[in-house]
Amino acid sequence: MSTATVNSDATQIQGGTGEVMIEVEAMDKYFGDFHALKSIDMKVGKQEVVVVIGPSGSGKSTLIRCINRLERHDRGRIIVDGIELSDDVRNIQEIRRETGMVFQSFNLFPHLTVLENITLAPRNVRKVPKAEAEAHAMELLERVKIPQQANKYPGQMSGGQQQRVAIARTLAMRPKVVLFDEPTSALDPEMVKEVLDTMQDLANDGMTMICVTHEMGFAREVADRVVFMADGAIVEVGSPEHFFTNPQEDRTKLFLSQIL
Amino acid sequence: MAEQQINPNFLGEEPLGAPTIRPPHSKLSAGEWLKTNLFNSRLNSIITVVVGALLFWCGYLFVRWIIDIDFTIIRDTLRVFMIGSFPDDELWRLWGQAYLLVLAIGFGSGAHARRNHDQALLQGVASDEQSLWSLARRYWPIIAVLVFFASFAKTFSPMLLVITSVLLAVATRWLGWVAPAALRLRAGFIAAAAVIASMLVVAGTSKFGGVVVGLLLFAWAATELRRGDPATSRAQQAVRWLVPLAVGIVAYLVIAAIGFEGFGWKDWGGFHVSVFTAVAGIAIGLPGGVLLALGRRSDLPVVKTASVIFIEFVRGVPLISLLIFSIVFLPLFLPPAWETPTQLTLAIVVIGGFSAAYIAEIVRGGLQAVAKGQTEAAQALGLSPGAMQRLIVLPQALRAVIPAMVGQFISLFKDTSLLFAAGVLEFLGASTIANNQPQFLGKGLAPVTLLFVAIGYWAFSYTMSRESRLLERRLDTGR
Repeated sequence: MSTATVNSDATQIQGGTGEVMIEVEAMDKYFGDFHALKSIDMKVGKQEVVVVIGPSGSGKSTLIRCINRLERHDRGRIIVDGIELSDDVRNIQEIRRETGMVFQSFNLFPHLTVLENITLAPRNVRKVPKAEAEAHAMELLERVKIPQQANKYPGQMSGGQQQRVAIARTLAMRPKVVLFDEPTSALDPEMVKEVLDTMQDLANDGMTMICVTHEMGFAREVADRVVFMADGAIVEVGSPEHFFTNPQEDRTKLFLSQIL
Repeated sequence: MAEQQINPNFLGEEPLGAPTIRPPHSKLSAGEWLKTNLFNSRLNSIITVVVGALLFWCGYLFVRWIIDIDFTIIRDTLRVFMIGSFPDDELWRLWGQAYLLVLAIGFGSGAHARRNHDQALLQGVASDEQSLWSLARRYWPIIAVLVFFASFAKTFSPMLLVITSVLLAVATRWLGWVAPAALRLRAGFIAAAAVIASMLVVAGTSKFGGVVVGLLLFAWAATELRRGDPATSRAQQAVRWLVPLAVGIVAYLVIAAIGFEGFGWKDWGGFHVSVFTAVAGIAIGLPGGVLLALGRRSDLPVVKTASVIFIEFVRGVPLISLLIFSIVFLPLFLPPAWETPTQLTLAIVVIGGFSAAYIAEIVRGGLQAVAKGQTEAAQALGLSPGAMQRLIVLPQALRAVIPAMVGQFISLFKDTSLLFAAGVLEFLGASTIANNQPQFLGKGLAPVTLLFVAIGYWAFSYTMSRESRLLERRLDTGR
């Protein structure tokens, strides 16, 4: 069975409910003449956690940034929860509402308090009443374990706390998918764990997640599937234990030998 | 330890509270300071002595000149300097205007200070000191200059106006601080209403005044209805538009029907008109500049081209040529049925448009300085492009350019002196008028009047500059 082996087919869903949440079909992306993503085929299932790894410049971030249209793909199809991503602004907005994203550099809004950061989008986009939005925000802050920071500004907090607020801000929109773009790469080592713990809790709660990360421990423990990318293409895909113990491709072996 | 702030949210996770160990404090005595800074080598000692003597000599000459000055010219023409040729029996309008403005500023700033204070308490950081002494220290240049001006008057009433205005400012600021939260929340509208009333006291009620009041009440009613929860149904949405619209129209009809006789601004002059033009210019230039800056970055070719043409044309032409062009030539191009706008109206439009072009470029710099991650985060959350600009990009961009913007406001304030060339008797022009009086003609009193005018400009410009630094510091706290 394919679930036990390592191959290059990223359209085989593992874990989760088995239904398709995200579908990427023959997708190409260019930056000028540079071919950044080469005919990517990939599926992500509901409640599945997919970890994307690979050397820098391999197109991991570009891949997930195409899914919520921070980058426009040039060819192929992207379907999120049954909605195909097109150039129509409303369509893009709809997909962005359902798709949360956590950035490497947190990107909290520095002029707003933590509470305002979290309630801004629900109030403005989902038209949630203020009291309800704030109650939900406090719940989320409890969940990421920093409720006492609600009235602080992002600049008054540590990197790890900021990233946890960023996760809470994303969850406030009640997204169906969360995309993580190297969420721990900008953190001091002692703060990585608190963020990874939060992500693990989220995965345990059944959130669909795509994580671009260099944290192999996280990949091993939490991922349903690991996708290895190099030079804009998916090289190898598999469950974590097979991926880390028995990689097939030379490119993968080389990469793993360099980082493990 | 008494002055240490107790942080209610401080859970020991990070060192946000006051440090428990203070850095070693080295303070020099006056003698030591002199020795280390001014007389630390032979050469420095010589330089200190020579420069000191020069400075002393200049100061001595200046003080002697000041002492010998005969201020009769100021005493005799103070009115021209302050209010131009505003008629006597209409003076009560100016008093009313002054009090209403003071009320707006006092109440607004009191409510604003209270909000900052409450916010600081929530975050557990120190808030600005609020005492009479700190206020006096903050606004002393303006208060001192107003007292200085009033001291030249031949009657006591100008001094009475200054004293009562200062007292009213203190009282209304205190009111703004202690007012119920519901009133404080609406302080902006209350202040705006007072400002509009201050204009109507002088200008009288008219259809134009009705439009302004109508717009204000429309905005107020619309904000009230949207303050709670977002509309859930189409009917509710409609009510939220129709009720404010009705309020605005009723306000317009009432104001237009009152028929309170006004006094136009053709006879405004002096310091009064300089300050007024500057404030009106800022009120037009700031929003206009923001719109132009956004227009210049727009994806729509028409909007973009129009913004670029306006900005580059206005920035490429001297202000005085625009002023003269508009005042001398513009009426020739207007349809004959139109009433010719007064010189002051045209001047305000020109000054407002001129500063809008400069502010647009300043704001554009601020917009470019907002990190790309901010817009990406806003987009990823699903914010619409308009909401993203309004809630995320502009607040950060404007914060980043406060110093440059206030610099532009200060130069705008001083540029109002060009209005004289366009036929408006403003503050600097008043000195020319004063020197041309038969009894002072050819007596070489220009330096005296110019010194007097310079002090007035300086007090207001310096206060603006200090306020901008204060604002920067406050906005900078922990962000």
